[in-house]
Amino acid sequence: MTVRNVDIAVLGAGPAGMAAALAAAGGGADTVLIERENHLGGILKQCVHDGFGLLRFGEKLSGPEYAGRFVHMVREAGLAVLTSTFVAAARHDSEESVLMLVDRSGVTELHAKAVVLATGCRERSARQVMIQGTRPAGVMTAGAAQYYVNVLGYLPTTRCVILGSGDIGLIMARRLTLEGAEVLGVFEAKSTPSGLSRNVAQCLDDFGIQLHLSRTVTRIFGDDRVEAVETAAVDEKMRPIAGTEERLTCDGVILSVGLIPENEVGEALGVPMDPVTKGPVMDQNGQTQVSGVFVCGNAAHVNDLVDYVTESGERAGAAAAAFVAGRRTHRLLPLMADSTVLLYAVPQFVDMDAPESGAVVYFRSGEELGVTVVEVTAGGETVARHRYQHLRPPEMERLEIDLNRIPVSAGSLNIGVESAAAAEMTS
Amino acid sequence: MSRRSQHIQQRLQQQVEPNISCREGHDSIILEGIVDNWAQVVRAGKLAAHEGYKGVVNRLAIEGLTLPPPRSPKLKDTALDGLHVDVLIVGGGVTGCAIARELTRKSISVLLVEKEDDLATHASSRNNGMIHPGIEPHPGTSKAYFNVHGNAMYDTVAAELGIPFTRCGSLILYQERWERFLGPLFMARARQNGVPGVRLINKNEALSLEPHLTREFSAALHMPSTGIISPYLLTVAYAENAVQNGARVSLETMVVDMKVREGRITAVGTNRGTLFPRVIVNAAGCYADAVADMAGDQFFTIHPRKGEIIILDRKKGHLISHVVAKPRLLQVKSDTKGGGVNRTIDGNILVGPNAVEQPFREDYSTDRDHIKLMLQRYLPLVPELSPADLITYFAGTRPATYEEDFVIERSQYVRNLVHAAGIQSPGLASAPAIAEEVARLTVGALGEVARVGDNPTFDGHRQGIPEPERMTWEERDALIHRRPDYGIIVCRCEGISKGQVVDALNSPISVTSIDAVKRRVRAGMGRCQGAFCTPQVLRIIGEQNGEQLAAITKKGGDSFILATETKTVQRAS
Ligand SMILES: Cc1cc2nc3c(=O)[nH]c(=O)nc-3n(C[C@H](O)[C@H](O)[C@H](O)COP(=O)(O)OP(=O)(O)OC[C@H]3O[C@@H](n4cnc5c(N)ncnc54)[C@H](O)[C@@H]3O)c2cc1C
Ligand SMILES: Cc1cc2nc3c(=O)[nH]c(=O)nc-3n(C[C@H](O)[C@H](O)[C@H](O)COP(=O)(O)OP(=O)(O)OC[C@H]3O[C@@H](n4cnc5c(N)ncnc54)[C@H](O)[C@@H]3O)c2cc1C
Repeated sequence: MTVRNVDIAVLGAGPAGMAAALAAAGGGADTVLIERENHLGGILKQCVHDGFGLLRFGEKLSGPEYAGRFVHMVREAGLAVLTSTFVAAARHDSEESVLMLVDRSGVTELHAKAVVLATGCRERSARQVMIQGTRPAGVMTAGAAQYYVNVLGYLPTTRCVILGSGDIGLIMARRLTLEGAEVLGVFEAKSTPSGLSRNVAQCLDDFGIQLHLSRTVTRIFGDDRVEAVETAAVDEKMRPIAGTEERLTCDGVILSVGLIPENEVGEALGVPMDPVTKGPVMDQNGQTQVSGVFVCGNAAHVNDLVDYVTESGERAGAAAAAFVAGRRTHRLLPLMADSTVLLYAVPQFVDMDAPESGAVVYFRSGEELGVTVVEVTAGGETVARHRYQHLRPPEMERLEIDLNRIPVSAGSLNIGVESAAAAEMTS
Repeated sequence: MSRRSQHIQQRLQQQVEPNISCREGHDSIILEGIVDNWAQVVRAGKLAAHEGYKGVVNRLAIEGLTLPPPRSPKLKDTALDGLHVDVLIVGGGVTGCAIARELTRKSISVLLVEKEDDLATHASSRNNGMIHPGIEPHPGTSKAYFNVHGNAMYDTVAAELGIPFTRCGSLILYQERWERFLGPLFMARARQNGVPGVRLINKNEALSLEPHLTREFSAALHMPSTGIISPYLLTVAYAENAVQNGARVSLETMVVDMKVREGRITAVGTNRGTLFPRVIVNAAGCYADAVADMAGDQFFTIHPRKGEIIILDRKKGHLISHVVAKPRLLQVKSDTKGGGVNRTIDGNILVGPNAVEQPFREDYSTDRDHIKLMLQRYLPLVPELSPADLITYFAGTRPATYEEDFVIERSQYVRNLVHAAGIQSPGLASAPAIAEEVARLTVGALGEVARVGDNPTFDGHRQGIPEPERMTWEERDALIHRRPDYGIIVCRCEGISKGQVVDALNSPISVTSIDAVKRRVRAGMGRCQGAFCTPQVLRIIGEQNGEQLAAITKKGGDSFILATETKTVQRAS
């Protein structure tokens, strides 16, 4: 067994982890980037559609192209990279984190002064959304379907329904159609789609695929392979309505019912989680409540734009390097989101002593809203304010705040809809 | 018609349905007629049981309902045609596999046939994995005897077969107002059934054993002999050890009929040819009555009692170590053990099971309301558990007879047939003891027509697939140096390596499906439920078995994972 010491271990080499590792090494820290798969790039490797990097590079790239640019930078910078390396156990001692790494050469005990969690997310499974019925082959998550089609070159179904209108499901509806499968429809239990509007337009509408809102798959039939599904309309509480059942013959059910940040390593390190985002409680630079453990990308909360993921990686990497150089966090103000209008806002805390005075807040609205003014207030002052044409839960919004504008007396930051505007909206 | 059967018929006609008729056959009572629903079928069967007959043969049909035939293999060939063996075991669940291993202690030829593409696909992989202490069965039943004896054998069995087993103990919690009834009742049962070490403990002691428990109870019954094991690993291990000792296992092989002459089975028909066994062991689970009927010896009827079970994330496994239940008073006298929560040998928490009478023997669909109800009822036992910890759920059917007891005996009318039937819960806990007894009966029957000696090379020890999770880091490091595939992780949730998958594919009973691999090494059993690792396992199966990816199945038959190559690939080639 080998023992190795580093300043910073970055876990996960998706866009978040690559950006974090580049920033950490750029800050002068001895950094190692650890990835369990045998290639860098994370989930982008299988996202062959375009639409990545508009904000970052001002052009529309495919997932592999976007990832490729960062892989190139990682190579250029000569970063230490461990691929096909699995974190089998982790613990945090007062001064360091200890990771037990497993790869083809054996077990390595890695001691790191700081850790950046960039482990991405996983998809919710069929049982987690209470699908009942038999257990045939042919029920899979959209991500798995994407892997079969784009990486293995196989169609996992010839005629399917898609349950849930998450982005991956919408993208797979188009992809499967292009590759010769028949997509009978997308069924979404909520009354609004969970994916981005542009994906609904480009992946469904352009291909004549129906989106059925307030309707879900209630049962799966088939013994060996899926033979049919039963769909039904649901009420506001998402309970199936008797008498609305319809049976569709198909050989596949593809699920796109939500993503969950992967934080098993974070949990092992003792990092407290936010029950709403399912990611760690953190400050604007990804510092979690365990000193020296940082988080970024989809592990922190589910993002819909890779550009923001990269941004969060850069911040976390730089902050980790500063931590290794001796910087500690002292004054934290909680950021409170008005839960009557917002689904969530991150970070959960703002570090007032951060070296950079600009901090970024990301949030999602709880429901679809028209023209809305969102403001951040602190100690009675408005520190940021922005007017949106519309807000939709699938679309994460970004708001920059200037720490210098926060009054010294402030005990917390609050984010919500501007009160005057709110009054207008309800009248 | 005897007065006894007339009396039963009258009762059924009055209490269930006027057109039911009863007659006697051998020593059993046979029910015939057409009723409206399954509840009536079960009710009639139960009313006719324990009325002085050997068993109830319930042939009641339901108006407008044709029951589906058993799931049958697609395969048809003559691979086994004309084969003569000493013993044929029908059924590759834990019962059949334990019997097979027990029989290999003798120098005889043993063939086990299983209709599915793997062992342990029915009840034996669809249960709680609990080795019951033996307190629930009514004193004097076969269930009570085999449960207590089987339980005691587990330390040795698990050590020999190389599979993990723990005596975690169990706690039955109860409320003050029931204490007066339950305490003495259970203590008396424990004495009568011979369950070791049972104690009534107070709340504080119970909480010191299980600090995360609810506070909503006043005292508990502690049963230290309760254990926990992986039921599918156990079944596979029994079968593999049997094969290592000379038995033969034939998967995708279904017994479809039998020829009986002068009280002996002379030939057994399967989809792979006709077999000529000297003795037949019926361990066919939910179809044991159908197999008995093929030999003209049906004296019991299976009514499949479905049970649903919820699996929670391993993250929460640390919250309990004992099996914990809090029965409602009504349950104490019912036929099925009440549900609760228990930790599996791999650290997940199971919630359930429930018990639902329904006609389908192999229908493993689950019901939304049942799942919700169980979450509501049992999660409060450990307040830190939440519905968000759910990763999946499943169902199984218990092969229950109307007598609600195991049928372990040599047939009274067919000289070369031995039954190991009606093995409902606690069938897993009882398996080692059942196997010993059935082997004894089988050898007895065989001894009447042939000489049976001991197998001089029998070795009861089996080396399982290494489990890096249970090793020290040094051991794991050394293993990877010997076998670098053990350093390549394919199932991220459970930390399962390529080496384990490869070893599963090359194990003594070769398997080829995704679920068969999962049953052996847990790849795909974690929180993502195979979303990430199924493609990886698929690739390894293709690579190891030289198989086309599109030909690989989830669980045999037509359960293909992939359809065809994509247009892009087709164009390129
Ligand atoms: C199908 C799909 C379509 C999308 N479409 C768009 C789009 O059109 N435009 C856009 O801008 N954005 C899009 N996104 C969003 C964006 O690309 C993702 O949010 C982003 O890739 C997430 O990056 P990440 O680095 O946080 O996670 P990931 O890319 O998931 O990377 C996480 C990495 O960590 C590794 N890892 C995890 N745990 C461990 C561990 N314990 N040890 C070692 N390694 C570990 C994983 O193997 C993985 O490589 C899409 C996302 C998906 C899934
Ligand atoms: C929900 C639930 C929870 C339970 N929990 C527990 C528990 O915690 N502890 C415990 O001790 N017990 C428990 N049990 C009971 C236990 O699972 C069973 O008693 C045991 O698995 C029965 O094993 P078996 O081998 O007799 O039957 P099975 O495992 O059903 O095996 C019978 C096999 O015979 C095969 N077969 C049938 N007909 C033919 C044919 N014609 N030709 C070839 N093959 C055939 C079938 O395919 C099947 O594989 C539980 C059961 C259920 C349903």
